This record gives sequence, C-alpha cells and structure tokens, in this order.
Amino acid sequence: MRDRAITVLGYLAGFALLFAVWHVAATWLARSALFPPPWPVLDRAVVLVEDGILQEQVLASLRRIAQGFLLGSAVGIPIGLAIGSFRPVRALLEPWTEFFRFIPAVAMITVSVIWFGIGEESKVFLIAYTTVFVIIISTAAGVGAVARDKIRAAQCLGATRFQVFLLVALPATLPYILTGMRLAMANSFVTIVAAELVASNDGLGKMLWDARLFMQVEDIFVALVALGLLGFAADRLFRLLIRAFAGRFNPTM
Amino acid sequence: MGGQARAIRAADPGARIVPLARRLHTRTRAAGGAGALALVVLDDVGKTYRGRGGAYEAVRGVSLDLAEGEFVCLLGTSGCGKTTVLNMVAGFEAPTAGRILLDGAPVRGPGAERGVVFQGHDSLYDWLTALDNIAFGLRLRGLPKRERRARAGHFLRLVGLDGQGAKHPAELSGGMKQRIQIARALAADPRILLMDEPFGALDAMTRATLQAELSRIWAETRKTVLFITHDIEEAVALSTRVAVMTRGPGGTLKALIPVDLPYPRDRTSDGFMAVFRQVHALIHAEIHPQ
Ligand SMILES: Nc1ncnc2c1ncn2[C@@H]1O[C@H](COP(=O)(O)OP(=O)(O)OP(=O)(O)O)[C@@H](O)[C@H]1O
Ligand SMILES: [Mg+2]
Repeated sequence: MRDRAITVLGYLAGFALLFAVWHVAATWLARSALFPPPWPVLDRAVVLVEDGILQEQVLASLRRIAQGFLLGSAVGIPIGLAIGSFRPVRALLEPWTEFFRFIPAVAMITVSVIWFGIGEESKVFLIAYTTVFVIIISTAAGVGAVARDKIRAAQCLGATRFQVFLLVALPATLPYILTGMRLAMANSFVTIVAAELVASNDGLGKMLWDARLFMQVEDIFVALVALGLLGFAADRLFRLLIRAFAGRFNPTM
Repeated sequence: MGGQARAIRAADPGARIVPLARRLHTRTRAAGGAGALALVVLDDVGKTYRGRGGAYEAVRGVSLDLAEGEFVCLLGTSGCGKTTVLNMVAGFEAPTAGRILLDGAPVRGPGAERGVVFQGHDSLYDWLTALDNIAFGLRLRGLPKRERRARAGHFLRLVGLDGQGAKHPAELSGGMKQRIQIARALAADPRILLMDEPFGALDAMTRATLQAELSRIWAETRKTVLFITHDIEEAVALSTRVAVMTRGPGGTLKALIPVDLPYPRDRTSDGFMAVFRQVHALIHAEIHPQ
C-alpha cells in the first residue's frame, strides 16, 4: 500500500517535472512561435475537447488499435504456442516470422492502402501485422522456457499430453505472452500514427498532419501529449496485468 | 535391445562374469530380505548418451530389485550416473541396454505409479498455491474440488506445513518447497517414490529435520522409496539398504549394504558407526583409487 502511494506520487512529480522543463524550454531557452509552452497547448486542448474534436480523434485511433491488436493477438498466441510446442511447426513457420519481422509495418503502409483502401481495414491490418510477429516470438520463447521438471512432474502425476499443455505449458507461458502484448502495444502506437499520417480521414495521426498543413502548432502538441498519455496508460495496464498474473510468482518480472 | 546387450557382453568375457555374479547376489538378497515379489526390477540396465561429442556410457550393468516397502538409497560420487538411473526408472529416459520392470511389465514412460521428487524447485508450479500444487495430481484425475482440497490438506499436515497452504512457492523457503514436492508426490498415491537428492541444497539443520520427517512419513505410509544421495550419513540414516555405485564413466553397482538398524536411528550408536564405516570405505575407494 505504501509502495503504491510512493509510485503514484513519484509519477505525479515526474509528470510535473516534465511539464516544468517544457515550460522553461519554451519560454526561455527556445522562444519560438513553433514551440508553444504548456499553457496555450492546454487551453487549446480544452477548446478541442469542448468541440468534441479531440475525443473523436482519440477514439478513432484507439478503436483501430484495439481491433488490430486483438486480431493480431488472437492469431499470434496460438501460432506462437504451436511453434514453441512442435518442432516441425517451428521449422515450417520460422522462415515466415523471421522474414516478416524485418519488414516493419510502416513499410507495409503502401501495400496496405493498395489492398484495403483508405478506410478502416488498412489500419486494422497494419496494427494486426505489427502485433502478430512480436507476440508469436515471445509466446514461442515462453513455451521453450518452461522448465523441463515442471513438465516431467506433471507426467509422473499422470497428466496426458493435453493436460500438460493446458495446465502446465500455458500458465507457465502466460507472463511471456503478456510481455509480448505489451511490446506489441507500443509498436501499435508507432504504427497507427504513421498509417493515419499517410492515409486516413481521422485519428491522431491525421490530426497531426492537418495541423502541420494549417500551421496550427498548438494542435500538433495537443496530439503529441495525447499520444504520450494514452501510450503511458496502455503500458501501465499491461504492467498491472503482468503483475497480477506473474509478478507475485516470479520476482524477476 | 536385450539381445544387443548380450552380444556386447559376450564379446567381453570380463564384463560378462561380474554383472552376472552381482545379479545373483541382488536376486537372493531381495528375495530373502523382504520375502516379497520385487516391485521394480532393474535388469542389467545401461545407458549410453550419444551426442555431438561422441558416445558417453553413463551407466553400465546395473541390476537391482526393489521390494515393496523398502527404502533403498542409491549412493555415489557426483557424475556416477545416479540421476540417470532414476530418470530411467521414472520413464523420462529409456535404457540403451537391459530392461526395467514395474510389476513385471517393462517401463515405457512416466506414470502415476512412480512419484518423483526432483532435485531443484523448478518442478513446482509458481502460479498455484502450495495446497493446489499438492492437489495437482488429484485435479488431473478429475477429483471434485472439495475432495481434492481435503486430501491435499491431509498431506500438507503430513509434511508439517499446516496453515501454509495459501502461500505460493515464491513465498516458501527451500525446505518448505521440498516438503511441498514430497506432499505432491504422495498425494497422487504412487506405488514407489523416486527422490533425487531432495535435501542436497538445504542447510545441515533443515536437512536433518527433513530426514527425520521423511523417515516418519515412510513409516506411516509404507511407500517403497528409491532415494538418491551422495551423503553417506543420510543414506545410512534413512535406508533399509544402501546401493553403492562406482564412479563414472560406466557407473555400476559396487555393493548392496543392508542396514538392519531400528528406526528412529541413533547416529552415534555403534551399529550406525559400523555401517557408516563400511559404506565410507567403499565410497572412499571410489574417490581415491590407488
Ligand atoms: N543428457 C545427457 N547427455 C549426455 N551426457 C549426460 C546426459 N545426462 C547425464 N550425462 C552424463 O552422464 C553422467 C552421469 O550423470 P548423472 O546426472 O546421472 O550423474 P549423478 O550421479 O546424478 O551426479 P550428481 O550427483 O552430480 O547429480 C555424467 O558424466 C553426465 O555428464
Ligand atoms: Mg544427479
């Protein structure tokens, strides 16, 4: 309980310091119309919220992330489990994962727009694409890291192969799956902005692009701060989940 | 497999005579000593590992009968092949020579009749509480939750951890974790308990306590036990027979020493000392060959 209070206070102080540094930098160190201090940005954010514009953009981006992320996870977790469990599957699919891993989602934007157009599908595809390989790799690594004695113990308690998978391999792999999802979530933020910059009618990326076109510097900063806060919140959520499922049992997580 | 082993032995007359003589010796001992049919039979068992570095014969010509209710310690220096023997009895690895019988049928893989207590703590399930770890084998059998909780609770008390059932393995000490392992193996009601240096990593006081408790549990449950150790005192304190191994490569049984002393054993008694000295001389010859 006291640890949590210290953490929360620390976070608040950390954010306060961040805004203080920004304020000092923008008012004294680099005074420029192109670098607004925090207060005008906050004022602008209030206006955008009152007009319902900011929420709209945030929701548009988050909806795409959620859809693509869930799709990528739903595909990636079973494939990762299969790769980690069966040698032939690994041999067959490793070329795929090792090949596509090095083609970043950003590089796939053009293909995605050609295939799926400028609508929702192209963005959801890109998020799913960027999610799936990270999750496959960390899930497979988790299966491989299950201690041999855990499996042997289950076998000599009479477990069937399916029971070993369901009751030993899967729970032992869960922390790795969640860690993969956490990394994938960070990637999703990178990808959604890039995709919306290039090809979208709404979303935070689109907001950044429009603001640049019309030289609304405050809008750019509102979008940036929104991205940072959303990413921070999503990452905390996964850390909490990892803690809940693994932290108590595994002090290294 | 047996035919192949026989052919190899026939080619080496020296190797042929020794295991045969030893086999006769174990047969008569097991039959005469316990007066019951052997639960587990190791018949001229050998294991050769083949890897990139070539072949390594870890174990050769091990013959041993374990009668029901016996407590046999397998004693030997590090690397002599003790774990290899246990892994074969457990069914984790197959012998490359000879055969292992359980109730007269060859061992084909791991099974619930053979409970294993592992050397480290890796085998415990970190995501389950101590009680749920103990109940794991019962859960596999589909026992209803209430019933398995009750049975697991019984074994939790048996290993002296009453009231600690809600803790997770990460919250338990090394000695407590080994108790959980023992309780987990016992709760599945195996015919034989295979224990691989279960107290090897514990401090001397905890080890002595757990040895005493294991003796008590063995007396209460009358399980057959195959217990691996490299601690002579531990072997003499616990077992009805001590099987001494030669050092590797090609570790094999050197002698079978009966320990006819009453439980609980007084480690300072003359009888204990005498057996200790006898076993010590055998092990000493392995550590310092002339
Ligand atoms: N999977 C394996 N592949 C190759 N060699 C192995 C393998 N397992 C064990 N060995 C070798 O077999 C020999 C016996 O190993 P084993 O683990 O049975 O020894 P041990 O008597 O249990 O030793 P300790 O008391 O140190 O645990 C060792 O020399 C070891 O290097
Ligand atoms: Mg060993």
